[in-house]
Amino acid sequence: MELNAGLACRRLDFRWPGRHTDEPFVLESVEAIFPPGTVSLVTGDTGSGKSTLLHLLAGLLSPTAGEVWADGLPVSRWPSRHRDPWRRQVGIVFQHLALMPDLSVAENLLLPMIPRQIAWSRMQEEILRQLADADLSALAGAPTSALSGGQRQRLAIARALVARPRFILADEPTAFQDDHHARQIRAQLCHNAREGAVVVICSHDPRLRASDEIDRRYHLASATLTENPAERESS
Amino acid sequence: MIPRTRRASMAIWAAREVQRHAARSMLLFACLVSLVFLIATALLFSQALDATWAHLLDQAPDLVVRRIDGGGWVPIPADEAVAYATGVPGVLDPTPRLWGVMPGPDGPVTVVASIAVVPEGVLNEMKPPTAGQAVVGQGVARTLSDSRLILGSRNPLTVDVIDVFPADTDLATHDLVWITPEDARHLLELAPGQASDLAVHLFRREEEQAIQADLAAAFPWPVRISDRTDSALRHRTRATRLGGIAVVAGIPALLSLLLIITGTVLENNGQRAHWGLLKSLGWTTADIVRLQVNRAMIVGIPAVMLGLTSAYAAVFYPPTAGVIAFWITGGQHLAALTLTRGGAAIIMLEIAALVGLPFLAAVFLTSVRTAARAPWTMLQADPWN
Repeated sequence: MELNAGLACRRLDFRWPGRHTDEPFVLESVEAIFPPGTVSLVTGDTGSGKSTLLHLLAGLLSPTAGEVWADGLPVSRWPSRHRDPWRRQVGIVFQHLALMPDLSVAENLLLPMIPRQIAWSRMQEEILRQLADADLSALAGAPTSALSGGQRQRLAIARALVARPRFILADEPTAFQDDHHARQIRAQLCHNAREGAVVVICSHDPRLRASDEIDRRYHLASATLTENPAERESS
Repeated sequence: MIPRTRRASMAIWAAREVQRHAARSMLLFACLVSLVFLIATALLFSQALDATWAHLLDQAPDLVVRRIDGGGWVPIPADEAVAYATGVPGVLDPTPRLWGVMPGPDGPVTVVASIAVVPEGVLNEMKPPTAGQAVVGQGVARTLSDSRLILGSRNPLTVDVIDVFPADTDLATHDLVWITPEDARHLLELAPGQASDLAVHLFRREEEQAIQADLAAAFPWPVRISDRTDSALRHRTRATRLGGIAVVAGIPALLSLLLIITGTVLENNGQRAHWGLLKSLGWTTADIVRLQVNRAMIVGIPAVMLGLTSAYAAVFYPPTAGVIAFWITGGQHLAALTLTRGGAAIIMLEIAALVGLPFLAAVFLTSVRTAARAPWTMLQADPWN
């Protein structure tokens, strides 16, 4: 298995800690490679473990067994003091968005930039660019709580992309979007992938499944991840 | 080494966090100011009292010889006493003094014929009293309705007050009335050639204990000798006791303030979800702790400074100093106090140790404890779920 570039899961098992050992695995023996420059789509039913897989790839959760490799490094084996700084290479879009409701739109975009060594002028540039890409320029100073569901989701995506991460992990990024904005988000993610990022999307949005911009398709069912070339061919 | 860009971003964001939780920050600020004020006032007061007494005692004689008999104090024959004392090796410049406690218009006053406790520079700027005139302390001046002062009851003397001792000598001159030696003798009913006691300076100050036996043996009458160490110890004990009493009196207030500060610091536990989000966005545990420490310093440093400034003003600024002296001493009048540079440094260190360090340590430890958790566990806390 090629482990030198992008994200890779190697015999990845996951079971919620503290529960009975006879409980079924959420993920079992997952083997997958998400190479740089590609957009990978993981589909599956609700509760199948898509979000858990993304959290494992982002280093937010530790696998029960197996490993997550990032650019040839076994990041899941690292202690948190090494994994925390590595996470600066990750941009994640949560299904529940996780925005700070009392902060303004621009301030939410500032959050990932603060611990990085970026000059204020560049931070501003990046924020303005992301606001424009997300159609939120006019709302830069508005509190996040005043946004619609779709706008909040676009803000969450902008926040994941604003620091130009190497690994982009998006959980249901188009769930609250109309067709126009869903296309826009897809184009944004593909653009980042073409620039060398690893993009992994978890979704059951038919618009994404039907997209020909998706390079790799996986299906998660019964704790097992399988590559699904048939769907790619059909699309 | 943290790059300057990141340090600046972190400090700016910490300021934004303070503003974001403005009410909580204000409460914390007010509590810290009050806590520092209460502790610093007690410490500054005690320290300043000690320093002021030390300063005044430095100008006092090394030894004071009083003649006594079965009934207590009796006048000392001035010339004989000087002759006896001069014969003791190590004794310099024995000086007979005329002084005593007399009834004044509003309580007892201390009548003196010479001033040794006031610095020479201050004395040079004052006009010495002539017959029928007096220079009085602030405490006596306050009781006068005009410039005339009636002293004594059995053998009263009326004098014109021509000047008042400066406020910064008030600790020593508060109840003092400086008159001529003739007026003093008349008032104290001392015959010519008699004095109240004998002030003695020593060639070596550290011999003040050792020389007392020789000095007592040199006089043909019983004498009582008091030294500077006695006075210093007495005043130092008083200063420490006053400071201690003030601190004890403030304990309930301190406890309640500490509870509020602890509560505010422990609020970090309620931040778990937000900190989990920050970690998922690339913040490390160290970044989160740094943010919290910055935030604590933005609130804490001005609070400590304001508390110290307020305490300084309360102890050394005359209008408020009176109120504070009343609170600490239970109504006793106190003079304008002085603070030595070393004393101020000690107070700053004590405040840093008593308030600043525990506060920062509490912020640091609770932040580390909360922020070091796994990000996913933190994200599971409200408000996301």
